[in-house]
Amino acid sequence: MTDHPPGVEAWKEHTTAFDRVQSVATTVSKPRPVSYIADEAHVAENTARDHLERLVSLNVLLKTEHDDGALYSPDPLHTRLQTLRDLLEEHDRDGLIDLKAEAQSKIEEWETDYNADSPDELRTRAAETDTASQTRDIRKTASDWELALYRLSILEDAIEDYDTYSTDFWAST
Amino acid sequence: MTDSYNPSEASHRALRAIQQELERHPMVTTVQGFPDGEFTELRANLAPERRGTDGENATLTVHWFAGETPDARPEFAFHYSDEETDFGWHHHEQEHVDGWGHFQERTGDAGYIHEPHTFHAQNPSQLIWEVTSLFSTPISE
Repeated sequence: MTDHPPGVEAWKEHTTAFDRVQSVATTVSKPRPVSYIADEAHVAENTARDHLERLVSLNVLLKTEHDDGALYSPDPLHTRLQTLRDLLEEHDRDGLIDLKAEAQSKIEEWETDYNADSPDELRTRAAETDTASQTRDIRKTASDWELALYRLSILEDAIEDYDTYSTDFWAST
Repeated sequence: MTDSYNPSEASHRALRAIQQELERHPMVTTVQGFPDGEFTELRANLAPERRGTDGENATLTVHWFAGETPDARPEFAFHYSDEETDFGWHHHEQEHVDGWGHFQERTGDAGYIHEPHTFHAQNPSQLIWEVTSLFSTPISE
C-alpha cells in the first residue's frame, strides 16, 4: 500500500480525479505544467492532461504553450463570474446593496482605525510595530482588506448590471 | 498570469476551492463565506458524531491569504472551536516557535500553547483534508 501523507486517502475517497485536478489547477498562484498538477492531485499525468484540456475547453483554465510544454492557470474571469452567479443566486438587489454597505462600512472602519488609505499602506506599517503579534494583526487586517475590496468590486458589478444579470440568470435556471 | 497576479483574487480562489472541499467532507454539515459582505474567511459547522471530538457547536474557521507575489508563501489558518476548547493549524509569521507552520491550542485560562508543525500538502484543497485528519490528536492529549 502506498504511504500517502495524512488526509490523502480521505481526499481520494470523497472526490473524483476530475474534482482534484480542477481543485488544484484553480488554486495555483502561477502557471503550472501537467506534471505538477498531477502530483498535487494524486492522479496519473495522462489523466491530469485529459481533465486539464477539458477545463480549458470549459473556460475554467487558461493554457499557454512554452518550449518545454503547456502551462495551465486559472482564468480569473471564470472565478469572478462564479462569485457573481453565487451572489445573484443568494440575494436580490436590496440584499446586494446591504452587502455592499456592509463591506464599505468595514473598509471605512479599517481606514479610520489604522489611519491608512489602502491595504498596501497598512502593510508598510507592519515593519514599524514593536511585537510580532502586532505585525501579525496588521498583516492579517491588510489581507482581509484586500479580500473585502475584491468582494466589493464584484458586488458593485452585480448591482450595476443587476437587471441584465438577473434576467440572464433566471432565464438559465 | 504571473504578470497579472492579484493576491486578493488568488486568495478568493483558494477560499472557494476550500469551501468546495469542505462541502464534500463528511465531517461538515454547512459551510459559508463570512462575513457575507467581505468574504474574508470560511466558517464550517461540524457534525458532532463524525469529527472525533466531543464538544458542542463545533466550527472550523479558515483564513487564507495567497501572498503578495506568486512565489510568496501563503498565510493561512484552519482553526477548530467548540464550547470547551479551540485549537488550530496555522501558517504565518509568529514569535512562539521556529518557522511559520505551527499548531496552537488553548488550555483553560492559560492561553495558547504552541508546537511547530510541518504541513505535507502544498495546495489548499489537499490541506483541508490533511488538517481534518489530525483533528483527533490535539497536543494536550
